[in-house]
Amino acid sequence: MPNPIIMPKFGQMTEESAIVEWRKKEGERVAKGDVLFTVETDKSVMEAESFFDGVLLKIVVPPGVNVPVQSVVGWIGEPGEAIPETPPPPRPAAKPATATAVAGAAAAARAPVAETPTVIVPAAVTAQTPSAPARFRISPRARRLARECGIDPTKITGSGPGGRITERDVRAYLMAHDYDRLRITPAAKALAIREGIDVLSLRKDGERVTVADVERAIAEKPKPLSRMRQVIAQRLLQSKLTQPHFYVTVSVDMTELIAYRNGLKASGLPYTITDFISMAVVRTLQEFPTVNSSTDGKTVRWYSHVNLGLAVSIEGGLVVPVIHQAEMLTLREICDRSKQLAEKARAGKLTPDEMSGGTFTISNMGMLNVENFAAIINPGEGGILAVASTQKQPVVRDDQIVIRQMMKMTLSVDHRLVDGALAAQFLNSIKQKLEDLDLWKTMT
Amino acid sequence: MVTTSTSPASSKPSPVRLSDMRPRFEPYVIDCGEIPAFQFKGRLRDLLAARQITAAEAVAILEDMLIIREFEEMIVKLRSGAYTPLPDFNYRGPTHVSIGQEGCAVGACAPLTIRDKITSTHRGHGESLAKGTVAIRAMTEAQLRQRVPHSRATTREQLIEEALEEHLYRTICELFGKDDGYCRGRGGSMHIADFTVGHLGANAIVGGGTPIATGAAMALRYLREDAVVCCFAGDGAFSNGVALESLNWATQQQFTNHYAGDHRFGLPIIFLVINNHYGMTHRTDDEVTGIERIARRAAGFADNNMHAEVVNGMDVLAVRDAVQRAMRLCKAGQGPVFLDVDCYRYFGHSLSDPRVEYRTKEEEAAWRAVDPIETFKAQLREAGVLDEAGIAAIEERVRERNARAAKRAAAAADPAPQDVLKFMYTDTRCDTVPAEFAKVEILQPLTDLKRVNGQLTYKDAIREALYEEMARDRRVIFYGEDVADYGGAFKVTKGLLEAFGRERVFNTPISEACICGTAVGAAMVGLRPVVELMYFDFALMSSDQISNQAAKWHYMSGAQTEVPLVYRVSAGAGKGYGGQHSQTLEAMFCHIPGLYVVYPATPADAKGLLKSAIRDNNPVLFIESQGLYGMKGPVPEGDYLVPIGVANVLREGSDLTFVAWGPVVHDCLKAAEKLKADRGVSCEVIDLRSLVPLDLETVLRSVQKTGRCVVASQAVHIGSYTGEIASAIQEAVFDYLDAPVKRVGAKNGIAPQSHVLEAAFLPSIQDLVDAATAIL
Repeated sequence: MPNPIIMPKFGQMTEESAIVEWRKKEGERVAKGDVLFTVETDKSVMEAESFFDGVLLKIVVPPGVNVPVQSVVGWIGEPGEAIPETPPPPRPAAKPATATAVAGAAAAARAPVAETPTVIVPAAVTAQTPSAPARFRISPRARRLARECGIDPTKITGSGPGGRITERDVRAYLMAHDYDRLRITPAAKALAIREGIDVLSLRKDGERVTVADVERAIAEKPKPLSRMRQVIAQRLLQSKLTQPHFYVTVSVDMTELIAYRNGLKASGLPYTITDFISMAVVRTLQEFPTVNSSTDGKTVRWYSHVNLGLAVSIEGGLVVPVIHQAEMLTLREICDRSKQLAEKARAGKLTPDEMSGGTFTISNMGMLNVENFAAIINPGEGGILAVASTQKQPVVRDDQIVIRQMMKMTLSVDHRLVDGALAAQFLNSIKQKLEDLDLWKTMT
Repeated sequence: MVTTSTSPASSKPSPVRLSDMRPRFEPYVIDCGEIPAFQFKGRLRDLLAARQITAAEAVAILEDMLIIREFEEMIVKLRSGAYTPLPDFNYRGPTHVSIGQEGCAVGACAPLTIRDKITSTHRGHGESLAKGTVAIRAMTEAQLRQRVPHSRATTREQLIEEALEEHLYRTICELFGKDDGYCRGRGGSMHIADFTVGHLGANAIVGGGTPIATGAAMALRYLREDAVVCCFAGDGAFSNGVALESLNWATQQQFTNHYAGDHRFGLPIIFLVINNHYGMTHRTDDEVTGIERIARRAAGFADNNMHAEVVNGMDVLAVRDAVQRAMRLCKAGQGPVFLDVDCYRYFGHSLSDPRVEYRTKEEEAAWRAVDPIETFKAQLREAGVLDEAGIAAIEERVRERNARAAKRAAAAADPAPQDVLKFMYTDTRCDTVPAEFAKVEILQPLTDLKRVNGQLTYKDAIREALYEEMARDRRVIFYGEDVADYGGAFKVTKGLLEAFGRERVFNTPISEACICGTAVGAAMVGLRPVVELMYFDFALMSSDQISNQAAKWHYMSGAQTEVPLVYRVSAGAGKGYGGQHSQTLEAMFCHIPGLYVVYPATPADAKGLLKSAIRDNNPVLFIESQGLYGMKGPVPEGDYLVPIGVANVLREGSDLTFVAWGPVVHDCLKAAEKLKADRGVSCEVIDLRSLVPLDLETVLRSVQKTGRCVVASQAVHIGSYTGEIASAIQEAVFDYLDAPVKRVGAKNGIAPQSHVLEAAFLPSIQDLVDAATAIL
């Protein structure tokens, strides 16, 4: 009896996943622990290893198909063993058929037909196929004529049964748009047809449309967002729509802490300013449980642990690895864990669990030379702290203008949980800790 | 028009017969006579002395029985890996062995010549081998060299030996499905045939070969050939309708009484029942029939009891004697003859049948004790023809010859997979009539064809085609129910009897299976029969003969035979005849590869297509519409052909294509007219004319132009051939379609009698207009 290969559940919240690539072919021998395939999750590409020795008898789920986690994606056994009946895999995401490509932008507007990018880059693969797209009704003949003419058929109004676009509708449309007076080079037309650019959109007064015009249109053609950007878009929109934000800003005098940290660094200790900020935030969150909470608008949930998210910029987007149960960690442990997570993030190796479960996040743009900024709360968290660059500023100390290393921090909080006064106290408490060198001396 | 090869009208009396029967009710008793059983008591010793057999013939009889037994024991052993010459050969195929019945096969084939024909059964290895070995031993050197062209043999004995081995090799190749098999691996054990020695095929449909044999005998009778047909069939077959119909057909009095004019000659056929007492596993005599001896059946078919006898099939000489006498009767025009040959099958139906469920070991032992080979060996020893050593030498020769042939066969080439459809159809047709058949006697020319302004009715167009083709080629004969004196139920063939006489145009029993099956046998033996089924619905009565026999024999024989025949079937509908006389069943036969199916819609096509069908060497189902019989249209005089497989564009148009066949073609033309008048829509109308082969190209070209298509026939919607056409269109020219392909047919129901219901049932012009409108 062959052993089934199961689609792993990489994250607690993962419901379905798609295989990016099978690393083994059908009929190839597999040892326990060999990488069988890679899986694309919301945020990264994971490797799935074999639990069995044997031969990959059958690949049930091909790459690019979303299947529920725990479903059978293949079988390992000995050659000749019968493979039990498995339910057929779900239909693959719609292929970028030439016809849909021709339909172009307007087709996407009318019926969001998914297109699969040809090159798979980390974390950016298939867009999901909408379950029941509105039917765009066009006869094969009309579609063919539109394709031959290089026009976008979705702009045509159908007069056939059920509103189907027929050949005569296409011809009427061509006539109404003076198609026969469009001047375009044959090469440009061929390119436009191949790339799904509506040649009518390229029309130039009196001038012949050339390949250069088509290439410009191709460059401007909307392309699908990467999977990661789609996730970012969806989550941030959700946050902005459901969590009413307000913002409080303070300036922190970092002069002494920087000097202290430089001293530690000179003696070989690895602490960064961010580590101190993280520690200050973790401590303060324990003091202000209301901020380390979340709400759905009806109930409030307090998190006994501080799971601290650290926004990390990576190529093509942003990920937020989470230091779980950060209140249990020493400054050194926070320092080490932060470094480790940032490295994994940049290598694309974060596991879904390492990217979920946060209760509060720090977004540090200190190295990017910004005076101040406000961040958007990660959905489900109570707040986010936006840390700007530390800059030498003239400030008043004891009625004297002096030059200090000043750093602005802006707290974004969910007003459903936190009011202005509380936010001010919370933020100032962080500020006080950062300016209290004695506190840090006890920890380092 | 009559072709020039015909002779002028003769002065012979009209073949039309007016019955003049009177009531007769005087009491009397029907005497069914006597049927002799087991009368032969001849011993080899005495037959030799009486010069009724030679020693060489006796030795050949033993060797032929041994050849069969060795061959079939090889099959038994192959199944368990015990055949030592081929220890690892995996034989896939039937194992219907006849071990125990060798006396029947060899005794019956021994007197037959190469001109004589046989048909056989699914258990036919014995007959197949014996027909070949007997023919080979009697061959001329030239004939032998044709069978073994690369032989370097110098003596006749060597040549025969090599031909015998080649015969075994080609038989085993067929068994193994090899390209060197008699049927090129298309037939196998149950359909083996060797037409070169008169073996017209084993048949895996029980009883299925009986009308073929009967038709072959009709052809021999018609062609005045000095030959007989021996129709082998099991006892189980004679519970089957078609076997009993064949007996009835073969014994028709019209072959021997005043209807036959000066050729009163009974069919030269021997129905040889290999009566092993079992139909698969049931007892035919004790269990599933009401008679102890099948021979009694013969008394029900002919007043002479068909010369029936019960013969001891375990005694090869008794069988030989019976067949010799039967052949003499047949050749004297006294046939048919019915022989009930009593024998026993030692093994089960096949090797998967252990026999223990239905018979005792004691029964088997008792029959083995009278084994045909062992008893004949004893006679050979008794007669001093062979001693123990002589017998052993023959056994050794047989065993070694079989082993050599089997080894060669196992190593022989398989047919090429890409040739899987090779031999499906023949591409030949009869363009020139051989001189011997081109001279045709016309008793009374057809004079009543009413051609007005060049127009004939559809019915008369068919009549003219038949007349012209029968005048062209004496091999074309025509028969069916009430087609002769009466001219057919629809008077389509009136005048043909008068023109060609009863030998070529005759009434048949109401026996559709035999009408269709005898045509297959007659076609195999060289005639070109045209037969009529009064209603298309009746084709279901003969669907085995049409579908399993006519359609398949060209392929199953590896193209050894062609089956040039035409089934004229008349489709009803619209006349209030109800469910069993109104069907349009072309889809069922289009589904049977091997047949051509044509359906003309106009008088001109009816004539031209029928002439093409008669000249084609494939079996053609020629469908006629009763609704069109009275339709007039221009029909050219004289010889012209409408090619099979070419559709006709009857009306050109640019907006929509109607594809149709049969009477619906005319409804499509009217619908096109109406769509033009009411909506200005320009419709193209294509009459397919041929359904198989299908002229898809014309259809596709039209649909590529118009983008819209309605496919229509009179058949009920479900499973209609319209679906096949619609599917082919969307597969081939999907990108040219501006709307889904619509189908129009009769409702998914049974043709009702009520004319109100029938009108609702059948497709109408309005249905066509509606279908077109829905996609415009």
